[in-house]
Amino acid sequence: MSAVQHGHDQGKQEIKYSTCYMCACRCGIKVTIEDNRVRFIQGNRNHPINKGVLCAKGSAGIMKQCSPARLRSPLMRKPGTERGAGEFIEISWEQALDMLTERLARIRATDPNKFAFFTGRDQMQALSRLFAEQFGTLNWSAHGGFCSVNMAAAGLYTLGYAFWEFGDPDWDRTKYFMLWGVAEDHNSNPMKIGIEKLKSRGGKFVGINPARTGYQAVADEWVPIRPGTDAVLALSMVHVLLSRELFDWDFLIRYTNAPFLVVQTPGQKGDGLIYRDEAGHPLAWDLKKEGFVNGLDAACHPALFGEHKTPDGRTVKTVMTLLAERYLDDRFAPENAAKICGIPASTIERLALEMAHVAFKETIEVAVEWTDWAGRKHDKFIGRPVSMHAMRGVSAHSNGFQAARAIHFLQILLGTIDCPGGFRAKAPYPRPVPSPGKPAKRSAPNTPLDAHPLGFPTAPEDLVIDEDGQPLRIDKAYSWEAPIANHGLMHMVITNAVKADPYPVDTLLFFMANMAWNSTMNTANIQDMLRERGPDGEYKIPFLVVVDAFHSETVHFADLVLPDTTYLERYDAISLLDRPISEPDAVCDSIRHPLLALDRDVRPWQEVLVELGGRLKLPVFTNPDGTPKYKGYKDFITYYEREPGIGFLAGYRGADGSKSLRGEPNPQQWERYIENQGFFQYHLPKDIRYLRFANKGYLEFATEAGFLKSPEPIVIELYSEAIQKFRLAGLGLYDGPMPKERVDQERLATYFDPLPDYYEPLEQQRVDKNEYPFFAVNQRPMMMYHSWDSQNAWLRQIIAQNHLYMNRARGESLGLKDEDWVWVESHNGKIRVQLRLIEGCQEDTVWTWNAIGKQSGTWGLKPGAPEATQGFLMNHLISELLPEKPGERRITNSDPITGQAAWYDLRVKVTRAAPGEEGVWPTFANVPPLPGAEPKPDVLRYNTRAKA
Amino acid sequence: MRLGLVIDLDTCVGCHACATACKEWNTSSITAPLTDYDPYGKEPSGVWFNRIRHYEIGDYPNNKTINFPMSCMHCENAECVTVCPTGASYKRPEDGIVLIDQDKCMGCNYCSWACPYGARELDRVSGTMKKCTLCVDRIYDETLPEEERQPACVLACPAHARLFGDLDDPESVTSRAVRERGGYALMPELNYTPTNHYLPPRTRPSIPTSDLPRGSLARKVKEWVNRVIER
Amino acid sequence: MNPSLAVIFLTLFSGAGFGLMAMVAMVNDFAIDGALSPLRTAILVALALLLVTMGMVSSTAHLANPKNAWRAFTRWRTSWLAREGVFAVLFYPLAIAYLGWVFFMNNDRDGVALLLGNAAALIGLITIFCQGMIYACLRTIRQWHTPLVPANFYALGLALGMTVLSTSRLLAHRHDLAMVSIASALLVAAAVMKAIYYFWIGAPSGTTLQTATGFTRGRVRLLDQGHTFGTFLTHEFSNSISPGRALRFKVAVYLLGFLAPIAILLTAAHVAIGLAVLLAPLLAFIGIGLERYLFFVEAQHVVNLYHGRMPGSLPQMHPALRAGAENPAPAGKRRLVPSYEER
Ligand SMILES: Nc1nc2c(c(=O)[nH]1)N[C@H]1C(S)=C(S)[C@@H](COP(=O)(O)OP(=O)(O)OC[C@H]3O[C@@H](n4cnc5c(=O)[nH]c(N)nc54)[C@H](O)[C@@H]3O)O[C@H]1N2
Ligand SMILES: Nc1nc2c(c(=O)[nH]1)N[C@H]1C(S)=C(S)[C@@H](COP(=O)(O)OP(=O)(O)OC[C@H]3O[C@@H](n4cnc5c(=O)[nH]c(N)nc54)[C@H](O)[C@@H]3O)O[C@H]1N2
Ligand code: SF4
Ligand code: SF4
Ligand code: SF4
Ligand code: SF4
Ligand code: SF4
Ligand SMILES: [Mo]
Repeated sequence: MSAVQHGHDQGKQEIKYSTCYMCACRCGIKVTIEDNRVRFIQGNRNHPINKGVLCAKGSAGIMKQCSPARLRSPLMRKPGTERGAGEFIEISWEQALDMLTERLARIRATDPNKFAFFTGRDQMQALSRLFAEQFGTLNWSAHGGFCSVNMAAAGLYTLGYAFWEFGDPDWDRTKYFMLWGVAEDHNSNPMKIGIEKLKSRGGKFVGINPARTGYQAVADEWVPIRPGTDAVLALSMVHVLLSRELFDWDFLIRYTNAPFLVVQTPGQKGDGLIYRDEAGHPLAWDLKKEGFVNGLDAACHPALFGEHKTPDGRTVKTVMTLLAERYLDDRFAPENAAKICGIPASTIERLALEMAHVAFKETIEVAVEWTDWAGRKHDKFIGRPVSMHAMRGVSAHSNGFQAARAIHFLQILLGTIDCPGGFRAKAPYPRPVPSPGKPAKRSAPNTPLDAHPLGFPTAPEDLVIDEDGQPLRIDKAYSWEAPIANHGLMHMVITNAVKADPYPVDTLLFFMANMAWNSTMNTANIQDMLRERGPDGEYKIPFLVVVDAFHSETVHFADLVLPDTTYLERYDAISLLDRPISEPDAVCDSIRHPLLALDRDVRPWQEVLVELGGRLKLPVFTNPDGTPKYKGYKDFITYYEREPGIGFLAGYRGADGSKSLRGEPNPQQWERYIENQGFFQYHLPKDIRYLRFANKGYLEFATEAGFLKSPEPIVIELYSEAIQKFRLAGLGLYDGPMPKERVDQERLATYFDPLPDYYEPLEQQRVDKNEYPFFAVNQRPMMMYHSWDSQNAWLRQIIAQNHLYMNRARGESLGLKDEDWVWVESHNGKIRVQLRLIEGCQEDTVWTWNAIGKQSGTWGLKPGAPEATQGFLMNHLISELLPEKPGERRITNSDPITGQAAWYDLRVKVTRAAPGEEGVWPTFANVPPLPGAEPKPDVLRYNTRAKA
Repeated sequence: MRLGLVIDLDTCVGCHACATACKEWNTSSITAPLTDYDPYGKEPSGVWFNRIRHYEIGDYPNNKTINFPMSCMHCENAECVTVCPTGASYKRPEDGIVLIDQDKCMGCNYCSWACPYGARELDRVSGTMKKCTLCVDRIYDETLPEEERQPACVLACPAHARLFGDLDDPESVTSRAVRERGGYALMPELNYTPTNHYLPPRTRPSIPTSDLPRGSLARKVKEWVNRVIER
Repeated sequence: MNPSLAVIFLTLFSGAGFGLMAMVAMVNDFAIDGALSPLRTAILVALALLLVTMGMVSSTAHLANPKNAWRAFTRWRTSWLAREGVFAVLFYPLAIAYLGWVFFMNNDRDGVALLLGNAAALIGLITIFCQGMIYACLRTIRQWHTPLVPANFYALGLALGMTVLSTSRLLAHRHDLAMVSIASALLVAAAVMKAIYYFWIGAPSGTTLQTATGFTRGRVRLLDQGHTFGTFLTHEFSNSISPGRALRFKVAVYLLGFLAPIAILLTAAHVAIGLAVLLAPLLAFIGIGLERYLFFVEAQHVVNLYHGRMPGSLPQMHPALRAGAENPAPAGKRRLVPSYEER
């Protein structure tokens, strides 16, 4: 070791543990700090999520911390300047908060809905939701509506948990893993750890994706599907399974509504609803008793198939019969499915059979005694080691809800739900199907809402509409246009507010969302809308507040900018009440705490929210004497209880910290988390780790922990009665609210299918396929998080420009060459971008990396940065509204069921740009630097040893 | 002892975590800093010890994408050392690690010409050549917990596609992986005898499906015989 | 390879300087055309020293950290670069002693002068060999890894030296046919050697992106090099020249570097052309300078394979880079491999 000095002076170093914030995977980090500077960020090997590993974004955290794009103090649009011109003056926090308090208090006293509060990939949604609820505005939601509510809703209306963040493959046992439409997703590190485990065990990994990069690169089989057609592929595999009787009889009978009877009275009220007894129990046909019985009864022997006549003469069929009739249809035969999804029939059949083989011939067992919901003891869990994960490739289409349900159907038929080797739930999931809780409907001055702003409608009565059927929310969530929009429609807020449709708002607050750029559709027009004034000369959106930590494209449209800290400078609670980080075997939550001292006049947004809550005297945040109840965020997290014993953090509760999950507040709770390296995990006993929907021990445990209201078994719903009720409303056959407009009636009748089916994505139904021959989709690059990593001096070296990728042979047949500049045109507009021809791209698809393009002057980049001159956003081509149809109001470009933004329904044509036409188009005006912005060095020599 | 890395091309997803973790560790390490040029400007660039390239093999639809990380191979016949006129480049006899003494290097680039693997990068500000140190200041640092005495890139890699060990010891994880998985060295024809090896993608046997019942679509749903199963 | 002027000048000028020294010694040894006068010997040796020094000085411009240049001699046991340094440095005392002796003793034919002159010439010749070996020993660059490289260096250095020497005589209106013939013969020999070299480097190399990555069964294409802009590696190694352009350059090398000097020398040996004879070495330097540019720019380091570019084996080259390869810096177009210096 003689020639080698140590790279560090350990004497000056401190090691602290926290949680990464570079994406919502929320890995545990071990941070070495030297002189208030970060020496090294490493994965925490004790952490349940990442077990020591760290991704490129997490490892590049140092460069986030020293980014010149960090906001430095509150800013106010310079009086007399135009919105969007980017002219600001620095103000104090006192001024900023006074201004905001005064405004919000006025709104709250008159019409709280005039305050619209929308948050992006907030990791503290539970607090922002609580704030909105207490404020009394219906107009709150987080990013889920433009992200992947299709996954969440499909799962929650089928299994009680979902892809996205609520479930995971059983990486330790699965032998066959099918990945649908995923480039990276939020379980970034666990997925990579898991894929390696699977492959080293000799398991098979199938990637269904029009592009072959990243995960699909290491897939044993790549299935280059045509975008938007996953439902056909999945249902065709269902067809193969059914036709060969390859499904798990026991599973279907015991745990799903497959044997329940459905009323068949086409054209009449009540058609398609579950046949129930007087008490409302679903009925099944008992094979031993030869009669109708309560299908929820433990002792019955329900028939899976069959058609019966009810005493009152109606025909009823089992769900499974309907399902078989539907999917055995020739439409779903592999030969026919192949024509739509582009996958050869033989491949479809083989994949289905391979999974059946692994599920039924390579069954595994976990020998643990457990008790089912009915009190019956079993000596083992049977595992069918086939697992799946799916995300935005499926969800970001307007048929994504049904496509995701179709994928769940495959899993259910194979009996792979929450079993060893299958697709496992993560606490606090599973929830009852559908989840309890209805969205709040009423708002009144100076009054908190009587429910959460978001919830789970199960019938038209639950919609958030007025007597005329008009939407009550600014984003029109829970209206006829998007009845089960469980996460809101954040992508519609600006358009609707500017059109005053359904009404105008006064103050719009965006937290952590780049809504004037990459997280909006139709970017250029949205920027114009933000600047739009009414006849009175007032901005259509009178006051825009942006809470951000960095100089994003949205910041320069703000009237008031509230600067947040970075993740290494604040307290955060990653709560089970929020987007949980649990693992299948353990209930988990975690925290962040300040590792570095602040060097700017910024404040954690959570801190500001708690303070605003006190200033506005919102009940939860206020003592009876009107004084603020909490000293700040840390104090709030320690003492706030949602119900007795349940707070934001589940660990170290009880006065002495000895209680887990439920217990009185512990004044030392934060300290205990910090001692435990920033996280808490409660390992589930072995007998309650599987089949949790029907596992007595688990159901009771979950009730005690507050995850469930009562320990009733959760029945998996193949057939969705809730969806059928909306369909009946569309058909005019419902006893309750029904839509008046033809378009709504048609949408409900067509798309609200209680059994998933394929339909062509909505936008594609309206554009000419000959004119726009290509599907256009995006992928997340593994080393970039949306727009916010272009400020990272290391990551942007890896990718500072994105290209449009096209299948080589297809491109060559069109006379296109690598590096050509091409025009890409959709029904909504056109852009000029640079082309690359590759092999790993389905022939009818073009794709690009998401959110690489930037507006010049933002993100701490110098004018002329390639992100602004050569990088591009596909968003310009995507419209937030469907193409116009004569005689019809403009309809959102979203899933007709959930309101999920349909980013990937886009169709385009690609033509070579004329000679001399180079560089991206459109480009945007350069944004001037913010007051007090940090200088941007020409050479960067980060080093904690010698300050370079 | 012959310390080095083995890269598993079967699981490398090309995430660049290893490259970034390397940059992060080494920017304050023994050859620190790793200068970045124009970090916020037009053509951002900088010094890295580990770079990931991405290739496509075969033609659509029979194509496969390969992610291909490359750093110093710590060659046995390290010509980069032989050619260095100043003695700044050296190979440690005790463990085979190839290093550059920053105090001796005159920045002539000659060693980089001799390296077939693109492992050496000149830092234009310090004027010295830099390269992967195999994290020599981690792997022997006894103040670190034992399991952390591994290169930064190996610790970070989420796909466990990077193994570190003694390729002289037949029982090390690295030697075993090379033996069992047919690990190979790059461009053996040049005779540099690299210590680092690459594991080719696994080929997996096909899954039998002939053992499954062969149903016929002709059977109508109504004929499905129910099985008596208690709920 | 990056055709940096520093390295081009180093090999061009120092090669010519050592060649000149060798030729001076030879002419005096064998009293060719009646040998040189002591004054002329002194002037030519001074010129040789000047050329060598120009080369050496320009080479230090190539060092990123010249303050450590003194260490460059330490590894002479393994490094041809160190050896070159050692011999280049050894050359100075001998050449200077020779120069001094000839100048002060006004005798370039005595034993000491012969001894010093031949010793300096020998060291110079060894230095040329080392210089050649700096390139020839690199297995990473096929175009250099050949004995043709030191052979070429010799031929070119000696030809340049002799061209300079004969020019100096022609300037003095001495129609020394022997010297002109030797110069012409050396130029012809150099031209032939170079032709052999050009043919040799045209042969395909066995190493391809397939073998370099180990994926020999299918066609391998670069999907992404993992960075948007240039790196040290692309700057140092990825220069190239299209075959058409290279051919035009080679024609220029032959015209300027070989044909024109021979023609001028032979003409001057028969008719008085005055100062125009200076065109012979001038054009030779330009022509052989171009040759040196080609020597670098045509050299393809194997690492280029990993960047998907290896002209000469075009099928492996990423078409994205093909445009750039054929035309290294299209005017007004974004270069795929940006230049470092520009920043
Ligand atoms: N590194 C990184 N990680 C991230 C993010 C990030 O920006 N960077 N963002 C985070 C966020 S907010 C989210 S929502 C998740 C999303 O994570 P992902 O679900 O991985 O989202 P995308 O990158 O959009 O990937 C969609 C994939 O689906 C494919 N695809 C497109 N259409 C179809 C289709 O119709 N069928 C199928 N089968 N495939 C299709 C695309 O080629 C692409 O590979 O990632 C999160 N994680
Ligand atoms: N074309 C196309 N568009 C898409 C998608 C797509 O696939 N294709 N994906 C969509 C999806 S799924 C999503 S989730 C959205 C994502 O879109 P956004 O959520 O808007 O994504 P970001 O660009 O990450 O912007 C978030 C903002 O948070 C800020 N921020 C970062 N850290 C902090 C912090 O600590 N505190 C505060 N207050 N702010 C912070 C950033 O500076 C940035 O301005 O994009 C959507 N847009
Ligand atoms: S996956 Fe990466 S960015 Fe996301 S939390 Fe983990 S380390 Fe951070
Ligand atoms: S990879 Fe290159 S730098 Fe490393 S030892 Fe081998 S030749 Fe030297
Ligand atoms: S650049 Fe430095 S290490 Fe490389 S050969 Fe020259 S002196 Fe040696
Ligand atoms: S071993 Fe260390 S220095 Fe080498 S590539 Fe890995 S992290 Fe970088
Ligand atoms: S970290 Fe691992 S998976 Fe990611 S690029 Fe490096 S070797 Fe590949
Ligand atoms: Mo998202």
